[in-house]
Amino acid sequence: MTTSARIFGPAAREAMESRFARTIAARLSERAENVAPEIGERLRFAREKAVAAGRLARSGAEVQGAGDGSAILGLSRSVWWQRIATVLPLAALVAGLALIEDWQTRSQISVAAEVDAALLSDDLPINAYSDPGFVEYLKARPGE
Amino acid sequence: MATDKELSDFLKSVEKRAWKRAVYAVRDEDAALDIVQDAMIRLSEKYIDRPAAELPLLFQRIVSNATMDWFRRQKVRNAVVRNFSDFEGAAGGDGDFDILETLEALGSSLEHESAADSVSRAQILQLVDAQVAQLPARQREAFLLRYWEELDVAETAASMGCSEGSVKTHCSRAVHALAKALRAKGIGT
Repeated sequence: MTTSARIFGPAAREAMESRFARTIAARLSERAENVAPEIGERLRFAREKAVAAGRLARSGAEVQGAGDGSAILGLSRSVWWQRIATVLPLAALVAGLALIEDWQTRSQISVAAEVDAALLSDDLPINAYSDPGFVEYLKARPGE
Repeated sequence: MATDKELSDFLKSVEKRAWKRAVYAVRDEDAALDIVQDAMIRLSEKYIDRPAAELPLLFQRIVSNATMDWFRRQKVRNAVVRNFSDFEGAAGGDGDFDILETLEALGSSLEHESAADSVSRAQILQLVDAQVAQLPARQREAFLLRYWEELDVAETAASMGCSEGSVKTHCSRAVHALAKALRAKGIGT
């Protein structure tokens, strides 16, 4: 171990290194501040372009954020309208078919009832139409 | 979320140093401008929602990544890594404490105008700049992030993707290499 190594402990050595490094860094800053005007101008242009890109990204994020909220609502509405638009015609069709069937059943019942009523309200008993003698009687009557 | 003014002020405060760092790395002023512009736009577009306090570390990482991307595009990264690995093997070993003895003297001479006894101040600045440019890439990156960008050791390690111990080693070697080189040029003697 050299004499200086014994004199300078690790902490002192680190402090000296740090001090020296910061002195160098200060000189680098001094030199960097004096860049050529053309370089400075191009850096300014790059900075302005970046700020504009940041503004665009920020506004895009805000629009997207706002859009997300309305989209959820809009999507919900459209889904509901789609469902309604799909279900309504089907429901109308089913209801129409049910009405038609009901009308047909009622009309059949009505016709049968009218026939039954006509037969029952006639003077001639209904069994007479199945009697062979009565049939012969009807055949013999046209001449009268 | 950083405002336009916060973003603009921040970029204005770091743009020249970022450009200089990129110049040190790629040795091409136009390519360095492209890297800085690319890094600025990446920061603005992707991290605009972050608080302004997080911008410095994010920006340093983006500049480092953009620089690496440039090397990838140039397909010379392996050559660069090989070059600075060669340097790293040689640095820091010889005369460690002899250089340490001169650190204070060197620091003092750079801090005061009296350093211009033999060379002008502008020449000293140019010499410092040239010596920093000649540092091995990882040493220079650690040195600049730690002492120029004033990141702490942990932030520097995170930005460089290495351990804190590596950062300390790189920084120490860089300081010693600079001290030795400047002393050899007659500064601080």
